[in-house]
Amino acid sequence: MRLLLQLALILSVCFIGDFLHRVCGIPLPGNILAMLVLFLLLCTKIVKVEQIEEMSNFFLKRLPFFFLPPTIGILAVYGVLKGNLLVFFLLCIFATIVTLALTGKITDILVHVQEKRKKDA
Amino acid sequence: MHDVLNTPFFGIVLTIVAYEIGVACSRKFKFAICNPMMIAAVLIIGFLMITGIELETYNLGGDYISIFLGPATAVLAVPLYKQLNQLKAHLFPILIGILVGCFTSFAVVSLSASLFHIDDVLHLSLLPKSITIPMGVELSKSIGGIPAITIASIVITGITGGVVAPIICKVCKIKHPVAQGIAVGTASHAVGTAKALEMGEVQGAMSSLAIGVTGVLTSIITPILLHWIA
Repeated sequence: MRLLLQLALILSVCFIGDFLHRVCGIPLPGNILAMLVLFLLLCTKIVKVEQIEEMSNFFLKRLPFFFLPPTIGILAVYGVLKGNLLVFFLLCIFATIVTLALTGKITDILVHVQEKRKKDA
Repeated sequence: MHDVLNTPFFGIVLTIVAYEIGVACSRKFKFAICNPMMIAAVLIIGFLMITGIELETYNLGGDYISIFLGPATAVLAVPLYKQLNQLKAHLFPILIGILVGCFTSFAVVSLSASLFHIDDVLHLSLLPKSITIPMGVELSKSIGGIPAITIASIVITGITGGVVAPIICKVCKIKHPVAQGIAVGTASHAVGTAKALEMGEVQGAMSSLAIGVTGVLTSIITPILLHWIA
């Protein structure tokens, strides 16, 4: 499909996501609802991957770029945090490392146990 | 003099240039610390601080880029759909893993807060740090945190996740791509997911899934746990 049409299709899904959040009052962000809607559209084959492939690759390949403006917003809390700045940074980094390691290790063990059971069965 | 910059094009061009420099650096130096997003953020923040240009001036352009966070998040459904088989095959470990992550994040933040005598508002603002920004802001408001601090903690968490993910997977011997993806998505939402997509399609898909599930679970269990420890 032509690129602009692909974009229009993706943006329509975002429109539905926003609609579900704002008008229907579903307590999930529009972005997440849009992801869910697109997932359901793909599963039911109403939308085919080929119909949005190039445009979705465009976004997926440079995902961090779109998160830069909210990131720069951390300048705004510089004044609010003041003395707590170092503690704040260290705590965020430390908690992330522990969460990532523990989540990954537990999932890894469970996946291997499950695969081993399937093999044995 | 800053009137010259009162146009959206300033923020947009600055962001693109900083991002491309970040990408070029990360390709040239293959260290984990050379994360394109982190380099770009440091460049933009440094530039604004040195020149004294206001955040509002930058956001004239930045807001246009932020609009596309919607479609950029929505298309995460594509890798997830392509890896539907992995999801079906490993549903149980995936859900348990994400649940463990939600509790871990809560426990580490709360324990550190009481250990280092961090004040309550800062503690509450930090609790939603592993979930995606719109969900984190709502949770922060409902438990009595400051949304601006929550956003900052979410951003730092995301960048940290992207930088440390490959190192931690290696050190802790987290080998299965499903486990790697779930770890990154649960700990560091969509910003970390960008790194997971680089690690592989399975990792990217599982990380995308974890963003939504972690957001919902954290929003539910955080008020309950707070009530319980109070």
